[in-house]
Formats: sequence, structure tokens, C-alpha cells
Amino acid sequence: MHIPDGFLSTPVWATLDVISAPAVAWTARRAQRDTQDHRIPLLGVMGAFVFAAQMVNFPVGPGTSGHLVGGALLTVVLGPAAASLVLTAILVLQALIFQDGGVLALGANIFNMALAGVAAAYLSYRLWGQASRSTAIFAAGALSVMTSACLALGQLLISGVPMTAGVWWASLGLFLISALMEGAITVAAVRAIERLNPAWVGGPQPASSRTVAGVGLAALILLVVGTLLASIAPDGIQRLTGQGVDSTTWPQRTKGGLAGVAMIFALCYLAGKLKSRRRSA
Amino acid sequence: MHHLVIDRWSRGSSSLHQRDPRAKLAALLTFLIVLSTTRPAAQAAFAAYAVLLIITASRARLPILGLAGRAALVLPFSATFALLTWWSGDSMRALALAEKSFLSGMAALLLVATTPLTGWTAALESWHVPRMLILVIQFVYRYLFVIAEQAQRMRWAALCRGRGSFGLAAGLVGVLFARSWQRADGIYHAMLARGFRGRFVPAVPVPLGASDALFLSACLAGCLGIRILL
Repeated sequence: MHIPDGFLSTPVWATLDVISAPAVAWTARRAQRDTQDHRIPLLGVMGAFVFAAQMVNFPVGPGTSGHLVGGALLTVVLGPAAASLVLTAILVLQALIFQDGGVLALGANIFNMALAGVAAAYLSYRLWGQASRSTAIFAAGALSVMTSACLALGQLLISGVPMTAGVWWASLGLFLISALMEGAITVAAVRAIERLNPAWVGGPQPASSRTVAGVGLAALILLVVGTLLASIAPDGIQRLTGQGVDSTTWPQRTKGGLAGVAMIFALCYLAGKLKSRRRSA
Repeated sequence: MHHLVIDRWSRGSSSLHQRDPRAKLAALLTFLIVLSTTRPAAQAAFAAYAVLLIITASRARLPILGLAGRAALVLPFSATFALLTWWSGDSMRALALAEKSFLSGMAALLLVATTPLTGWTAALESWHVPRMLILVIQFVYRYLFVIAEQAQRMRWAALCRGRGSFGLAAGLVGVLFARSWQRADGIYHAMLARGFRGRFVPAVPVPLGASDALFLSACLAGCLGIRILL
């Protein structure tokens, strides 16, 4: 999911760098404001923890295994601003030292994972956290991965990386599977942490502004869908038809993108509703 | 687990190692932007960029094959997309995709292989990257290998005790989290014991020297020359 240099067209990476730079400055200020002294080493060590936790394999079904991505876990434990800052630091290190993601594409990768991914996790945790924590954490993990992956795919398409309908569907399916896996792993990891010390994981804030969280999440999903839609804008179609790809398949692909995100959204929402109803009954 | 070979490389003493990190960072960004805007058809330019990087690496007395091997980590990803592009009938673009991502990785490696982490983070700080972000980057890098080694040992111990399960892996992550949290506490107390008063004292920025300016202008001239002429 880390986009290397050379894949994004100049307008795409330049725009995302310009968007991400002030956003990172803002999250850094926020994180500094909410942070006491002892949290500075904590944020760094949590970044190293996420790196290390990605080495632990979770057996998921016969013959397959996955690992934690960690964005949602950090958001639940540290809060959104600090989580976003830690993920940004990880992405910078990965781009420069580990050759994982490009330097010019850093803005894009920060936008997809550290900003949009954390926002998706935070908003779903806040929206459904009162109803059912497990569902909310599952939704946070799944939606953060789905958001980052769909944005990356959309940006690659906007940059003119050609993709056949089959590949498009296959990658969407893969994203869906890894999103569900991340949800399940995040829930298991948070439960294991809480068993050791419940004080480490803060609960979601009081539900004073659930509508704000709902509207925010809806806006974020619109952004993801919009990116996928924009990737089929007229000039994109022209470029692709020039390369012999049938343009009539494009609307169907958008429907797929919409359907994927909407399905996760609906699933999580229904699960949250059901659980909260059961609790109040 | 082995410590990064980059750390060892970055402690060299060549003329490139001694250049100001700000000049090297500026040169890297110029190279990447020039590379990113090169047309796929300009294959001669890509060859010239590669020669430029090889000359720089040999000036820094770095093993070129070792650098290329590390930069090749990006190839599985870019080869996948290059193949897709190839199938859609644009072989030139496919080739350019793989070349661009490889050369970009190589250039970024040249920066970190000639500049220690404290050097390039200081350069970022002098460009007004938020201080908090710099601190987190430095802490993550400092404890990355410590905690990764711990995770590796715990994983082996768990595997020795039988086949892994989902719950076991979750427990492993939980314990790793607990130990990391306690380690962070210990680090903070150690910082207090060494006189930490809640803020770090920033280094005083030094103006760029004449040889740094010369290096930067040579890099700019090289990159732009190739971009315009080829």
C-alpha cells in the first residue's frame, strides 16, 4: 500500500504533498498540546512497537495469515492526533531507510494512511464506540485499511497507471479481505492489551457529538468514492481508450468501489445497531 | 537481527559524507523531481541518471552492488505494475515505471547512506518540519531494533511451544505492547534523571559552506543538464 516514486503523475504527488504538509503541521501541534512530557518517549516507542507487531503472524483461515497494520490500534490507544503523528514518523522512516514508499510520494502515503486512515478509524470508533466497543474497534480497523487502500488505488488510476477491469476487481477483493482481517486483529489485540491493563486503552469520548462523527465519516467515504470516481474522469478515459481499454467498463468499476465501501459501512452500522438494541432491551 | 548496514555506511568519512545534510537533501529532492518529470521515451536520460548515481556512490566509497540490492526492494511492487502496463500495450511506459522507482530508491539510499539519522533530521528541522515529528522519528528509529528483536524472540518462543493460533498471536501483541509501554516509562525516568526539563535544546544552525554550495550546484547542473539535453 506504500506508493513508490515514479508511479504518481506530477500533479497528483505535488497536490498531495501540498495538502499533507500543513495537515501534518496541524496534527503535530495538536499532539504537542495534548501531550505531557512523558508522552514524547511513549509516542516514539509506540511507533517502534507497531513496526515490531507487524512481524507477528495471525493465522486467519486455512493456509493464510495476516498481520496487524496498526493504524486503528494506535488511534484507539493514543488518540487521533498522536496516532497520525506516529504513523507519519513511521512513513518517513520507511521511505528513507527501508525503501518502502517514495520520497515525493510521501505526501500521498501520509494522506492515505496517517491522515485519511486515522480519520476513518477515529470517526468510526467515536460513532459506534458507545453502542458496542468491539464492533466500533472492528469497524475502525476495517475502514482505516479500506480507506487507505482505495485512496491509493484511485491515485494510481488518476496518474494513468493502466488497469484492466479484472485486476481492478481483484484488488478491491483483496482490500476487502485485508480490511476485514485488520478489523479482527485489531479487536483481538485491543482485548489482549485491556486484559493486561484496562487503563492503557481509553474509552471513546462521551457521545455528545455523534452526528459530527457520522457526518465526518460520511464525508470521508464520499472522498474515497470521489477519488475512485475522479480516476475515471474524461481525460482518464481518453488516455485509456487510447490504449485500447473499453471505456464502457468504467461505470461498472465505480459501482464496485462504491459497493465495497458501502458494504463495509452498512455491515458495521447494522452490527452496531443490533448490539446496542440488544443491550438496551 | 542485524543492525542496519546503512548505519555503518553513514559513518564513513568521504567528501560526500562531510557535506551539509541540507545540501544533500536539496540535491535529492531536485534529482527526484527531475526524474519524476522525465518523459518515458527518454531512455538515454535514465541511463545518464544511473551513471550520475554511480559516480556519486563511488565518490562516497559505497559498495554499488550493495546499494543496488537494497534499492531493488522496490522492484516486486513496481514490476507488478510494470507488467500490467506492458500487457495494456505500453512497453516504454512499463520500462520507465520500473526504472523511475528503482532510481528514486537508489537516490534516497545515497542520502541515508552518507548522512546519519541525526544529520538529516536536523536538516528537516531547519526547514521547519514540526519539532514534535522530528522527535518521534528519532525515538522510533532508536527503539525500532530493540523492540523488533524482542518481538522476534517472543515469536520464536511461542512457536517452540506449538502451532500458532489467533488468540496466541493476539496475546503476543498484547504482551509486546505492555513491555513497550513500560520501556517508554523507563526511558522517561532515565531522561529525567539526566536532567531533562521538558524540552530539548535545538542545535544552532550553521550557514552552508562553500564546498556545500559547490556540491549542490554541481548536482543541480548535472540533473537539469540531463533533463534538458537528453
